[in-house]
Amino acid sequence: MFATNTQDTALQLLQVVGLPGTEVPAKLAALAAADARYLKDLKINVSNALDAATLPKKDAYLIGLSVAINEKLPALQGGFEQLALAAGATDKEIADIVSCTSLMNANNVYYRFRHFVEKEFYTTAPAGIRMSIMANPVIGKELFELVSLVISALNGCQMCVTSHEEALLKHGTEQQRILDAVRLGAVIKSLGVLL
Amino acid sequence: MKNAVLSVGAEFPAFTKKAVVSIEKGKEFYEISSEEIKASGKWMVMFWWPKDFTFVCPTEIAEFNKHYQDFADRDAILIGASTDSEFVHLAWRNNHDDLRGLQFPMLADTSKSLAQELGILEAEEKIAYRATFVVDPQGTVRWTSVYDLSVGRNVKEVLRVMDALQSDELCPCNWQKGEATLKA
Repeated sequence: MFATNTQDTALQLLQVVGLPGTEVPAKLAALAAADARYLKDLKINVSNALDAATLPKKDAYLIGLSVAINEKLPALQGGFEQLALAAGATDKEIADIVSCTSLMNANNVYYRFRHFVEKEFYTTAPAGIRMSIMANPVIGKELFELVSLVISALNGCQMCVTSHEEALLKHGTEQQRILDAVRLGAVIKSLGVLL
Repeated sequence: MKNAVLSVGAEFPAFTKKAVVSIEKGKEFYEISSEEIKASGKWMVMFWWPKDFTFVCPTEIAEFNKHYQDFADRDAILIGASTDSEFVHLAWRNNHDDLRGLQFPMLADTSKSLAQELGILEAEEKIAYRATFVVDPQGTVRWTSVYDLSVGRNVKEVLRVMDALQSDELCPCNWQKGEATLKA
């Protein structure tokens, strides 16, 4: 009477990331076929992370979008783009997220090098990378910082993580919002490896 | 009138009750027992409403149904209940668009014995308050909420409570000095 299966869990998981009615990817299908307990945890993690009280829907979907771009997942990118648009994001804001994610991929590598080596020449020489979008982002400076932090955490640049976290605190961002954003990034990445 | 609602830490009373589980002819009824639920090793979420065929109820019941899979994913058996009979439940399900597709059983506490034991009967009409019980696999009540007749519930709050009760940060990264080992 009370038996359940995880087929519906896989479908609902895809739905919450904007991929309703798509074919269940092989790794997720294999988990569902084995009735794996982890699939339930993953669905709960993803839905709860997207539903965090400190992240309005639009912010959550834009962060999801940037993770999908960073992890090179076109289907997931499309899903989050649709969700973000439906939650009120504009094309310009989407373009900002795309730009921010790309820029962070340069900065994460570059500043990580400077941080690793810690030699005066490298740290004092002009950066030589244009970052004009940082000056006046359409998504607002705070969200731009938040996305930068999430991507830096994913890409593992310590210097970027600590400086963006500090910049957010100076903006008056609550630590809970910072934590919720990083959790969202982490959890979406964990979904990404199964897509 | 003094109401003693069964609360956190108490053992959920044993019961055997008829329930409506389908609108398909011949498959409408099923006898649910606390024993079968315990044997399943799952959690139980039982939510009560005052009367079938009233207004706030279908909205709220449909909302619980919308989250049916969310409860299943948390290894919980979801059961709706009122003091109406199984025949009234069935008639209501057949009669209301939002209720035909219900995935959880509607329990009929026709004798009101379970509602009585839970301490959720309203004094005058002897109907159930909007009570919600979260019961762990051992049969212990872990959360109780009781709303007055006219107050609707927030289903997401019930899910949040379940997440907190089941929270299981087992990662050794969070291991603190002095802790002997992971708590499984």
